[in-house]
Amino acid sequence: MKKAYLGIDIGSISTKGVIIDEEHNILASVYLWTEGNPLGASKKVIQELASQIDLDEWTVVAAGTTGSARKLVGAMCNASIVKNEITAHAVGTTTLHPDVRTILEIGGQDSKIICVEDGVAVDYAMNTLCAAGTGSFLTSQARRLGVDVEEFGKIALGSKNPTPIAARCTVFAESDLVHKIQMGHKKEDIIAGLCNAVANNYLNNIGKGKKILPPIVFQGGVSKNEGVVRAFADSLGEEIIVDENGHLMGCYGAAILAHGSGIEKPFSFDVADMEFVTREVICENCPNHCEIICVYRDGELIDSWGNRCERGVIRS
Amino acid sequence: MKIGIPRALLYYRYGIFWETFFQKLGHETVLSPRTNKDILTKGEQLSIDENCLSTKLFFGHVAALEGKCDYCFVPRIANLGDAGRFCSRFEALPDMCSNMFRDTGLKILRANIDPEQNIPAKRAYLKLAMQLGASREQAQAAYEAGMAAQMEDFRKKIKLNRALLKKEGIKVLVVSHPYNLYDEYIGAPIIKSIRNLDAVPICSDGVDPREARSKSTEIARYVPWVVSRELLGAIQMYRNQIDGIVLITAFPCGPDSMVNEMIIRRISHVPILNLLLDSQDGNAGIDTRLESFIDIIRFRKEVEQ
Repeated sequence: MKKAYLGIDIGSISTKGVIIDEEHNILASVYLWTEGNPLGASKKVIQELASQIDLDEWTVVAAGTTGSARKLVGAMCNASIVKNEITAHAVGTTTLHPDVRTILEIGGQDSKIICVEDGVAVDYAMNTLCAAGTGSFLTSQARRLGVDVEEFGKIALGSKNPTPIAARCTVFAESDLVHKIQMGHKKEDIIAGLCNAVANNYLNNIGKGKKILPPIVFQGGVSKNEGVVRAFADSLGEEIIVDENGHLMGCYGAAILAHGSGIEKPFSFDVADMEFVTREVICENCPNHCEIICVYRDGELIDSWGNRCERGVIRS
Repeated sequence: MKIGIPRALLYYRYGIFWETFFQKLGHETVLSPRTNKDILTKGEQLSIDENCLSTKLFFGHVAALEGKCDYCFVPRIANLGDAGRFCSRFEALPDMCSNMFRDTGLKILRANIDPEQNIPAKRAYLKLAMQLGASREQAQAAYEAGMAAQMEDFRKKIKLNRALLKKEGIKVLVVSHPYNLYDEYIGAPIIKSIRNLDAVPICSDGVDPREARSKSTEIARYVPWVVSRELLGAIQMYRNQIDGIVLITAFPCGPDSMVNEMIIRRISHVPILNLLLDSQDGNAGIDTRLESFIDIIRFRKEVEQ
């Protein structure tokens, strides 16, 4: 049996998974929608990953999770390592693109920039409270314009005269957008304007004060939008690399980190058939009323978190 | 008499002075409890939405003192003369409180400190003490005892930072208004998280304020606000002894929105993490950012070695 490592990236919008070998070659990969059910989506990912490899040849000796539901899914699949998405993405991308200097990333609800020197992440920034200019912003504007967000990039490329749109704030962007539609601007110009606004908003917020050096890799869901890619290329005057596996960088990084952790824990594909339930408990020990999440596997408590202090500890 | 002191805003700068001063005058002081969810909720209900999170918490703390004291001490501290101004919200606190609590029976004890209008702190406190029935000598003695306690506290904080800087490991300067740094709902969880990540948090208020204000001019020639100057000074004084800076802002702080932008642009050799906090529950976003920030510093150090 050869050793393999599993990585899952559970984002707000999509869930991604890979299995890699000891040389970090990708053996299997899956990408599907989270649909508000991180545990269900992860089970599906695990099932599909299992169907892509020969289980008599490979045995998964360590699993890693990342993304906003990393803790929950990490408990579910007995992960060796649970890592934040910035570190996971940096590790994944620098493994596939060892010469990369800047990683731009725009996901469903957050955006970040990672600066790399000699294959190692040395600086980063992430959006603060505000989610303007992320994937969910583009999706809601697409709906307003009656266009599929997947079509956005192609339509934007058809524009010769992008309409300037104020996209610093989603609320202002919407009223500006409605105004421009009513003034008679063409749909493709408005869509191209939105793509430019997303790129410029990103560079002025997340990218502020950072040296954006080539090679530049652009990833996250929004990197599938050619309009935004072109806007970045125009603004920065540099080639923008979009890897076809860009969406897998987080889970790929998580798998590499699981390998690198040196912690081997039994992983069973049977978790896909087990029942996982979460229950929210309000701690009544003080006025803070912490919301504690308890995770049960087939009725047995396996983990809990959310308490601010020791008084709220719930043990299995 | 029982004098209530809200554990918020300038309490974290002058609290020790206030407690010593009133106790020396023969009064009992009552401190509101550490921030909890009830205090936060109450503060948000009482406050207009435009106030920053820290000011909302202040009103929650005042409300927590209802029925627990004869007077609640809410001074108006406008500026420190040449040392700079405080946030204009602080000037409005006594009036906002009087208005907010007028139907509750909570009595507000005021003091007006405004050196720009020729009312230095000492004169204001002596006047307050005599209003409370003290003689000039008693007032003078209480003021001096308060100042001595305050200076002692500053010295303790500076000593603590000197010891922390000698520690092994990743050192992170946590830069924020002291009322954010030490609040149970704003800074305390962040400082705890940094410790849990095996890094050493160093608080920005462990500096000699006078020295810090003068050092701040090396980063920016003129900043109007006292605390902003001291925060800049702390960065200038510690920048070569630390591995990273975490800026904590309580949304929507006016001075921070300008000063933190400038810090990010002008301090380029140290990684900086800018955390903007509102009253959202749950620390997932904060933990993600802190964890990755410390990871990045670790990677950077490994490359350097």
